[in-house]
Amino acid sequence: MAEEVILELQNITKIFPGVKALDNVHFDLRRGEIHALMGENGAGKSTFIKVITGVHAAEEGKMILEGKEVHFRGPRDASDAGIAAVYQHPTSYPELSVAENIFIGHEKMKHGLIQWKVMNDEAAELLGRLDADFGPTEEMGALSVAQQQMVEIAKALSTNAKIVILDEPTASLTQNESQKLYKIVRQLRDHGVSVIFISHRFEDMYELASRVTVLRDSQYIGTYDVDKISNADLIKAMVGREISDMYPKPEVKIGDELLRIEGMSRTGFFKDVSLDVHEGEIIGMTGLVGAGRTETMESVCGITKPDAGKVFLQGKELHIHKPADAMKEGIILLPEDRQKQGLILSWGLNRNVTLPIQEELANHGFNDNRKENELSKKYLEEVDTKAVTIFEPASSLSGGNQQKVVVAKALAQSNMKVIIMDEPTKGVDVGAKAEIYGIMGELAKKGYGIIMISSEMPEILGMCDRIYVMCNGRVTGCLDRGEATQEGILTLSMENSAKHEHAETEAHS
Amino acid sequence: MNSKAQKKSIWKTIGKSREASLVLVLIVLCVVVTIMNPTFMSIKNIGEIFRNNSLTMIMALGMLCVLLTGGIDISITSTLAFAGMTIGLLQKYDILHNTFLLFVIAMAIGIGCGVLNGVIISRGKVTPIICTMGFMYIWRGLAYVISNSSWASGADVAGYSDFGQSAGPYVILVVVYVVFFIMMKWTKFGRKIYAVGSNAEAARISGINVNNTLTAVYGIMGLLAGLAGALSVSVYASAQPNMQYGKEMDVIAACVIGGVSMSGGRGSVVGTFIGALIMAIIAKALPLIGIDSIAQNTIKGVIILVVVILNVITQRMMDKQNLERRAM
Amino acid sequence: MAGKSGRTIQSVKKNSLRSTLLSWEGALAILFIALNIFNSIISPSYTVTNVLREMPKYLCEIFMLFPMAYILILGDIDISVGSIVCLSATMGCFVCNTGLPVGLSFLTCLAVGTLCGLINGIILTTFTELPAMIVTLGTQIIFRGIAEITLGSGGSVSLKNTAGYNAIAGKVGIVPIVFFLVIIAAVIFTVILAKTSFGRKLYAIGSNRTAAHYAGINVQKCRLIVYTIMGLMAGLCGMFLTSALFGANTTTGQNFEMDVIAMAVFGGIATTGGKGNLVGGIISAFIIVLLRIALGQINLNSQLILVIIGALLIIAVLIPGISSSIKAKQKMRAVE
Repeated sequence: MAEEVILELQNITKIFPGVKALDNVHFDLRRGEIHALMGENGAGKSTFIKVITGVHAAEEGKMILEGKEVHFRGPRDASDAGIAAVYQHPTSYPELSVAENIFIGHEKMKHGLIQWKVMNDEAAELLGRLDADFGPTEEMGALSVAQQQMVEIAKALSTNAKIVILDEPTASLTQNESQKLYKIVRQLRDHGVSVIFISHRFEDMYELASRVTVLRDSQYIGTYDVDKISNADLIKAMVGREISDMYPKPEVKIGDELLRIEGMSRTGFFKDVSLDVHEGEIIGMTGLVGAGRTETMESVCGITKPDAGKVFLQGKELHIHKPADAMKEGIILLPEDRQKQGLILSWGLNRNVTLPIQEELANHGFNDNRKENELSKKYLEEVDTKAVTIFEPASSLSGGNQQKVVVAKALAQSNMKVIIMDEPTKGVDVGAKAEIYGIMGELAKKGYGIIMISSEMPEILGMCDRIYVMCNGRVTGCLDRGEATQEGILTLSMENSAKHEHAETEAHS
Repeated sequence: MNSKAQKKSIWKTIGKSREASLVLVLIVLCVVVTIMNPTFMSIKNIGEIFRNNSLTMIMALGMLCVLLTGGIDISITSTLAFAGMTIGLLQKYDILHNTFLLFVIAMAIGIGCGVLNGVIISRGKVTPIICTMGFMYIWRGLAYVISNSSWASGADVAGYSDFGQSAGPYVILVVVYVVFFIMMKWTKFGRKIYAVGSNAEAARISGINVNNTLTAVYGIMGLLAGLAGALSVSVYASAQPNMQYGKEMDVIAACVIGGVSMSGGRGSVVGTFIGALIMAIIAKALPLIGIDSIAQNTIKGVIILVVVILNVITQRMMDKQNLERRAM
Repeated sequence: MAGKSGRTIQSVKKNSLRSTLLSWEGALAILFIALNIFNSIISPSYTVTNVLREMPKYLCEIFMLFPMAYILILGDIDISVGSIVCLSATMGCFVCNTGLPVGLSFLTCLAVGTLCGLINGIILTTFTELPAMIVTLGTQIIFRGIAEITLGSGGSVSLKNTAGYNAIAGKVGIVPIVFFLVIIAAVIFTVILAKTSFGRKLYAIGSNRTAAHYAGINVQKCRLIVYTIMGLMAGLCGMFLTSALFGANTTTGQNFEMDVIAMAVFGGIATTGGKGNLVGGIISAFIIVLLRIALGQINLNSQLILVIIGALLIIAVLIPGISSSIKAKQKMRAVE
């Protein structure tokens, strides 16, 4: 029974204009199993999922569902056949209610009219099963990402799916929320549902999956039993080569103080944050998603206005009102969302690199294209960007290389002193991650001060000299490299809330 | 637990306050006008308000659908003129005098124009404002060309215009609003429109045919514009190639005042109705309370701006309150 | 740390004649030439002298094309400009009719236009959440409404003394002054957009407003400047329109915003922002102007021009989509 194959795909090939997105891929899924699908970005995982769910039609290959060959003409066919998908970014309708989000496309109808009461009741029941803390009539847009994910899962449950596909469901979840999700996924499995699980986190895979299929460069590499393959072998299968030193943290003499923040506050986002960074130092800022790390740094850099707080650079107080002010002083922010905040995707790499300094490079207001191209070439090569020409649009690069362009953009600002990297390896594959850590190490050696905001424990522990932990908008602790442990950080990330509640009850009594 | 319940109720009030506050504005408006000039609340006056604004009110429903999908249609009054001119000419040259058939023809022309918009926007991936701008020129130009820039006068449309003076326009108005109210709230198609406007990509993935939905939405808009064309000829007892010129902006304004979001996904039939009604009442009331009707447009424009700016300010205040509550 | 892999990236760009001709601007230039040949065949009076004589009344719209192109590149829109033209022309006429020096009347046109543009800009940059479409829809109604109030029940005003306005409607040889001004403005606006850091900023904002903000560009300042310039140029348009019509009425400048946007879009400037340049916009503007003149000369129903402009517009915006889908299919085949 356990060996019964519910879904099998053979020789799947999918072609997009100019590229083979899937090349002869195999896959089989057993009933009641959790099967991980892994591979670097661009390996073809998402495309593969979209073939299964009927969003894309494969050019070649067979799909066999419960012993019968099937041809899906659209997502409708797949969901009718009992396949439901929860995509990476919640594909929700922010303006509609939770119940509508759950039942969109298969509303409860009677005499051609929608039965709102029935839908709301059933949605409430589904949410109850998932132990949700919100109701069916709330507006989707008002929910947190984790809550929205839960709605997506409720949506999959509502169709009585036999196969549920989860595409990077933990990417934007906190540790706690991930644990909750694991519980739900196991629950599904115990009810006989087969689950395909895509993730970048090895943690997820070890926690849940019994087998793992690896894709690389649009090709099928192999399927392994999770308990029989070592982590190193799995990385090798994904990357195609061995990675010797993931975190090349150099020994750097820590110099004078560069940046000091005192008592930064912004109502509703963070309160009374103080921290400092020295020359050659890499400091980490970690905590749960929503702890206020990004918001703090955005206020330091003038993206948003803080309500209170002082910023000192090399002992001198700064008055930063807009992003340009921070940049003038040499405080450079590499934003979290490369595609939306960091790059102009339709532009060539050259113009992206020189965007912040183009006004300085200009000659009496006229652009100096020659100088711009020279500079951008220099810095793009310095960070070892994989690109053919500097005129290529940024959209044509992979996530890792896009991140390198963002770094080059920071380097091009010659007065840079402090570089703030917000989730620099988010959505970056294993190979490029190591390269980005390498660049960080080099920058530290040159005496820049580096602040890395990250939710990934291994890189925080691997790269940082000191680690600030934030929780609910406050800094709950600062750990030195020697004393920091995963447990220590986790405790601090959740400590404040407990303490806070405690303080409140005390105040009341 | 306490805080959760509190949060819920606030979100609910936000969701509902929009229409409630519109109704409030409407009531205040009526009361003020009635106090200043008691003749305002007469049956005759109110009847006129609805008859004279039936075109805007009808087309606002189509515009609601279009705006819900995140689009816009500025070709509607050109469609109206083309359809209206066609049926005007059919009567002028004594080809057809059957009122019902004339309405059907105008609506058919409207659907044709609308579907063309829809196909080009959905399949051709053309921005709605540009596509409908092109057709704004084309249908208006054709209205001039087919009529050779002349009119179909009151005498030409003599029998047909009786309909416009009967209870006909009211019946059409009520029927159209009831149909749309049911369609938007209780049918799959209505919810599809909201879904496409809220998140087109998600709609596509969940199996909704986005292209067909868009085509249908612009088709409906065209249908209503055609219907408005037929009504216009009947109510005003003439057909001119420049009829209702520039009035598409009134229709959009009615929707915006009624709380329809220009970026899609948000808006309701009730809100649209109230929005259109507020605009109609202001137009009617100004002369009654002694303001020169020449100032009508200025006041209309100011109201549009004030409404949208007030919206932003209240939204900002609400956000700030939420943050302060969240704050530690 | 330079180039661990020793990889180098090319920084030389190849520009071929073929790619220039195949670009949208190239296609427009060819169309422009073809149109002139076509016009001179259908209309015997299509001569340089005649065309230049008839041109002024169409030319003043082009003043607004330049800033409108900037606004579209910013990813914004301004549908109030026709009303600004009306209001500034009206005010200019009234000032002129009071007997004040004509220079003050000109100044009034420009000042009223600039003020209107500034108002748009201030509202849009203060309430950044609002879509430009809605705000300028509101001001469109207001600006024309104020003109209506000023004009009173008659709804129109005529210049009592046309001498001053006649001066700016004058000619140098056979070429009208306004033609020179349009060309000068065209050069200035084109160079600023294509060659200066200000122009680059506009493209950056239009392509990705958030990324531009993060890169230290003062997005709202740029928008405020551009909207104000839009107002100024609408005032200029109103001034020259008055010199062609010797008066103003409630319908002056009606639908100009659509004409100008149509010219820009036909010239390859996308309403979604960040794309297009003024070379295309200017050629397309002259294509439309010359077509109007030729059709006017052969006494065709003057409104037929509307159908033609509309059709051109739709074809123009459909072509990129169609050609890219053809290219995609070719690529698809190449891979197989």
